[in-house]
Amino acid sequence: MKRLLPLRAVLVTGKGGVGKTTVTASLARFAASRGTRVLCAEMAGDPTASSALADALGVDHLDVEPVTVSENMKAVLLAPHLGHTKFLRDVLPMKLLADAAMRSAAIRRFLAAAPTFPEMGVLYRLLDLVRMKRRDGTDEHQMIIVDLPATGHALALAQIPASLLRVIPSGPIAAAVREGLELLTDKARTGAIVVTLPETLPVSEALELARGITQHDIPLAQVIVNRVPFDPFSDEEREAVRAMLAGRGPTLGERTIERIDRSRLSLARLQREVKVPIVALQDVWLDGPRLAEEMASLMAVESMP
Amino acid sequence: MSNRPPSNRPPDVVPGLRDTTTFVDPLVRTKKVIVCCGAGGVGKTTTAAAIGVASAVHGRKVLVLTIDPARRLAEAMGIPEAARTPSPVPRAKLDELGIPIHGELYAWMLSPEVVFESMVRRLATDEARVQEILGNRLYQHLSKIVAGMQEYTAAEALYTLATEGKYDLVVLDTPPSRNALEFLEAPRKLSMFLDERVIGVFLPKKGAFMRAASDLIERVFSRAFGEGFYKDLQGFLGAFSGMFGGMRAHAEAVRKLLSSDDAAFLLVTSPEPAALAEASFFQAKIKDLGLPFAGYVLNRSWAYTRGFAGPESIQLPADASETERVALKKLGQLADAERWRAQRDRDLLARLRMETESGSAIATPHLGGAVEDLVGLGTLARNLVRIESA
Repeated sequence: MKRLLPLRAVLVTGKGGVGKTTVTASLARFAASRGTRVLCAEMAGDPTASSALADALGVDHLDVEPVTVSENMKAVLLAPHLGHTKFLRDVLPMKLLADAAMRSAAIRRFLAAAPTFPEMGVLYRLLDLVRMKRRDGTDEHQMIIVDLPATGHALALAQIPASLLRVIPSGPIAAAVREGLELLTDKARTGAIVVTLPETLPVSEALELARGITQHDIPLAQVIVNRVPFDPFSDEEREAVRAMLAGRGPTLGERTIERIDRSRLSLARLQREVKVPIVALQDVWLDGPRLAEEMASLMAVESMP
Repeated sequence: MSNRPPSNRPPDVVPGLRDTTTFVDPLVRTKKVIVCCGAGGVGKTTTAAAIGVASAVHGRKVLVLTIDPARRLAEAMGIPEAARTPSPVPRAKLDELGIPIHGELYAWMLSPEVVFESMVRRLATDEARVQEILGNRLYQHLSKIVAGMQEYTAAEALYTLATEGKYDLVVLDTPPSRNALEFLEAPRKLSMFLDERVIGVFLPKKGAFMRAASDLIERVFSRAFGEGFYKDLQGFLGAFSGMFGGMRAHAEAVRKLLSSDDAAFLLVTSPEPAALAEASFFQAKIKDLGLPFAGYVLNRSWAYTRGFAGPESIQLPADASETERVALKKLGQLADAERWRAQRDRDLLARLRMETESGSAIATPHLGGAVEDLVGLGTLARNLVRIESA
């Protein structure tokens, strides 16, 4: 975990339901406790929807401007329209023109509804937050941890810059996209974390995702295996329990043993096929901010020398 | 397959097989569209496939449609990825399900590129126009991008499939929750984007009263995106402009279909607190949009313990070793944890039933690794509806 601390942008991705949001919140707590100024970010979605990240951080709601969660920790919703506005202000000769443009209903609706434009706005907003400085010249947000949407969409987001550059090879937007691409592909500044569960299918999908991310030149920093079941048996005890269950009908407790077996095999498969560090987090029966707290402490233990 | 641990539990003794009908029974017999929604990772794709199977059992011709780019369905059903049209699930695969299928089962993973091209071909007035659109750089960019396109694609494909009347039932597996919401609103959003008042200002020919807006847009876009891109955009929108009426009509038709009695929305959830929270939110959303909510499927539940013996029934011989005694004690602890989960999931199911007016909620069992193959799919189907043995 400690090796993540120098990164500027940490992209947390994985299929739905694997605990990305909890990992994001735990990682933020962990980094903040080490003195890093952290910004947790989530894609702005339906404004009436509850924010999963807000729940995990234990705050009431998130906003499109960063709000303080606790010491060293802020959280934000990445809103496309702020990215669009900032971009237009950066490229148009007058701020007035940019603001007029964003006031135009036609332009606003076009940017909100035309495919890929919202994602571009998010990317530009992220870039803006990375660049933000304090008065003393240090970075306002030393580490931005982004809780990305489920698998397919993370890859879709990753493919946008390169694809856009083919359509718009020059001009201010191309320059902005290039800058975004540089950040996303810079090993020293960016790291993707793939979160998965210790089950057969999720591990296959995590491997597919890890390959996809690498293909888009986004540096993979870590694979986190969440909800690893506790294995109470020694090797001898396991043998004994197998012998007892053999030939019997379905027995309570057996499904949990099968789950532990799948978990072992899944971890072994990941270790064989992935070159980056794999972090196993144990199944903790908590939810909300307490879960994130507990997991942050697990991360701290894991990263002790 | 080699990385799956051996299971000594034959599929036939998986608990909870139905001997009575459920609220899902009439849905798979009569509806034309069933939409499966829910948070990510709750087993929507698998549930959608199982619903498809359950309907095919009743002799219907069913298509399972997925817009989830994670490609799970194809693997389980043995259908090709990125096919241009729906593929039949091979008879041999259906036999693997372990239940008699009297109807036909098709599956299709939507690819935006394919759906858009067929839409262009259907709506464009002539071949020259088709080529102009397909050759446009912007079109090529948009049709290959997945982000944001899946929702449009799903609505468009649903329109085609539902109006062709080739299938008795289309089961739609939506992308993970937040995007699924976008899918529900895709038709409205699409017509917003296709509004001539929005598109119009980008087009070269324009009415005098729009000149001010158009000038502003031209200045902004040429400046921001470069002159070349703005020309491409105009070309793209110009070529498309004749088709907007048709696309809007499709969007409206999809909306009508999804709001009608022919459609049913199922909310799939797992016992995870996060998934449940999203499910509640979703139910309210479905109601707000005036869409027909049919009920909950509590997937991956541990609610069933029928048919399972407790480890207490294991008698160790008098000369059993210390290791064996400790092992049995630990097995007992795991069994206690499973009983606790079973109680928790039964309580959850009761709560979900109370949340629906008709008390429509059903639990399907946690099948562990087994659900990744067709036997697992067959078992799930048998947990959703009542199926007579062959």
